[in-house]
Amino acid sequence: MFLIHCPYCDEKRPENEFAYAGEAHIARPADPSALDDKDWESYLYIRANPRGRHHERWRHIHGCGRFFNAVRDTVSDKFESTYKAGEPRK
Amino acid sequence: MAETTITHAAPFARYSLRARTPQALEQVTGLKLPRKINNARGDVICLGPDEWLALLPDGAKLNMGDGLPVSIADISYRQIGIVIEGPRAVELIAAGCPLDVARIPVGYATRTIFELVEIILWRQAETRIHIEVWRSFAPWLCEALQRSSVD
Ligand SMILES: [Zn+2]
Repeated sequence: MFLIHCPYCDEKRPENEFAYAGEAHIARPADPSALDDKDWESYLYIRANPRGRHHERWRHIHGCGRFFNAVRDTVSDKFESTYKAGEPRK
Repeated sequence: MAETTITHAAPFARYSLRARTPQALEQVTGLKLPRKINNARGDVICLGPDEWLALLPDGAKLNMGDGLPVSIADISYRQIGIVIEGPRAVELIAAGCPLDVARIPVGYATRTIFELVEIILWRQAETRIHIEVWRSFAPWLCEALQRSSVD
């Protein structure tokens, strides 16, 4: 079983307390009505899906309940770091 | 060897307390809130950076802070308490909980899971663990704990 460091609990906790929540740092458009279909599609559906270092959101859903961000290697599946929501990209 | 028992806890007045700061909730409720996540102070548990659970004597009423930027909800009947007490208390929980239960210090309290059921686990003493679980999951959880106690 993986242990994931929750930046709010400041503890390593078992992976089955967590839920994956997709790529991180995708800001919702400030003025959605100004977007054309192409931009809207890109915001909703187009993701980087890199091989290697990936910034992603996780939620400590069966713990403190908070969303946070993580850097994980999609090849080795190893977590490089986790940090609180709102903090700059690592 | 002393027996390990699994019993229903006495009824509580349970309140879910949410706010950006503990001070805002303390002002409204008069309670003292723990600051450290996953710790209990008196009868209040800090579950997250903006979330507390108060387990007060049955019938206790809190000021609900109408109009203030706090959320105080009476959840007394949403969940029940189960008390596991005796020398095998840790072992029974460890049978289904992925935390390293044996190393959890007294006073530690956290939301976690038992098998697939979400619980709140509170280590009240070396040999006493209090569990909070949503009512609909309680029969299954009690059964699972009973079974792990005879294994
Ligand atoms: Zn957490």
